[in-house]
Amino acid sequence: MPETTLITDSLSLMAIGMGTVFSFLLLLVLLLKGMSWLAEKLAPAGVEPVLAPAQVPRSGQTADAELIAVISAAVARYRSQRRQ
Amino acid sequence: MAELLTLWQSTGVANFAWGQLLMIAVGCGLVYLAIAKKFEPLLLLPIGFGCVLSNIPVAGIGGPDGLLGMVYSVGVETGIFPLLIFMGVGALTDFGALIARPSTLLLGAAAQFGIFATLLGAVALNFVPGFNFTLQDASAIAIIGGADGPTAIFLASRLAPDLLGAIAVAAYSYMALVPIIQPPIMRALTTKKEREVVMQQLRPVSRLERILFPFVVLALCALLLPSAAPLIGMLMFGNLLRESGVVERLSRAAQNEIINIVTIMLGLAIGSKLSADKFLALETLGILVLGALAFSIGTATGVLMGKIMYRATGGKVNPLIGAAGVSAVPMAARVVNRVGLDANPHNFLLMHAMGPNVAGVIGSAVAAGVLLALAGS
Repeated sequence: MPETTLITDSLSLMAIGMGTVFSFLLLLVLLLKGMSWLAEKLAPAGVEPVLAPAQVPRSGQTADAELIAVISAAVARYRSQRRQ
Repeated sequence: MAELLTLWQSTGVANFAWGQLLMIAVGCGLVYLAIAKKFEPLLLLPIGFGCVLSNIPVAGIGGPDGLLGMVYSVGVETGIFPLLIFMGVGALTDFGALIARPSTLLLGAAAQFGIFATLLGAVALNFVPGFNFTLQDASAIAIIGGADGPTAIFLASRLAPDLLGAIAVAAYSYMALVPIIQPPIMRALTTKKEREVVMQQLRPVSRLERILFPFVVLALCALLLPSAAPLIGMLMFGNLLRESGVVERLSRAAQNEIINIVTIMLGLAIGSKLSADKFLALETLGILVLGALAFSIGTATGVLMGKIMYRATGGKVNPLIGAAGVSAVPMAARVVNRVGLDANPHNFLLMHAMGPNVAGVIGSAVAAGVLLALAGS
């Protein structure tokens, strides 16, 4: 019966397939953990500003307040355009 | 008089066959679903219109010398279009949630069980008279369970070009049906307490990690499963364009212009494969049923894996996010978020569900690679 051999074929394909998908992604979990550890060693967290927008209205004491308002508005506008 | 007869014989009215009329109706039905019901309109609209165009008699638009026929042989038969779309998907996808919590990859793996269970189902359908799926056909149908359009088209164009039209239509229709198919399964398999779990906030991910990520995935793929390298390679290339931060123009092109142009061409070309003799067959019905089955099983195994992780972590993981493992980015993650909000109005799971969601994309590409390596020969 060709159907029954096809069934056994697909059963083995299922076992091998699921096994491969799982072991592939399991290995990837380990590798990603290793990668994050390495990245932490090379460039410790906190040094690298991932979410940069914290510096906009800081240096406000000496500089002209109006100038800062204009610059931060322009930055905000530029950012929102780039997000689109 | 003879001229009049010749003219008559070149009109559409004289040449229409019943099958073509029916397929034009099917094409209009797909366009209707796209416009009125907003079912994946980006693809179903071009597919539906391509179907209408290619079933116009005499014109031969979908034939080997017609416009759509040529587009098909250049872009779909070669596998180029789905791969270019994958590049765009890579450029659009933020893998940050996955990098911050790699263990969610297991959810993406579990949800791929839907693919392999459907493979068995397709082969079992051969016992019903009228069905005759080979292992290649069955593999191409099963990948619908990956809930990833480009992967399904890529695999079908390699393994079962005859079924491509039906498989693509089924894959995209079910992706549109994710918000209807998934929630009942998710609710049935989880308790209210599990659905209410609030997850810990994700840690920030550094730029270095984001840049290294594509290389790590690609290296693993190159070492273990080169047959998945076209899919994973383009996905990771697109992602590197995005994360490198130095080629913003290319990144924007990949996520806008290129993916849009290719989507138009791909949709029209697939529509041209919806001909009466191929689509109006019992097999199409079987493919539609199996596709729904694939989706449901994938959702269920994803949620079950989520429950295992819930137990293993002592209740830190909300099992609902497992349902997002069936890719269908970002629809599945949104569905998870909604079901989570139903259980607990202050619980936003969207970011947490993005991890398994993008893991599902990698998982189904890996599954496609396995099927290609084992059934393709």
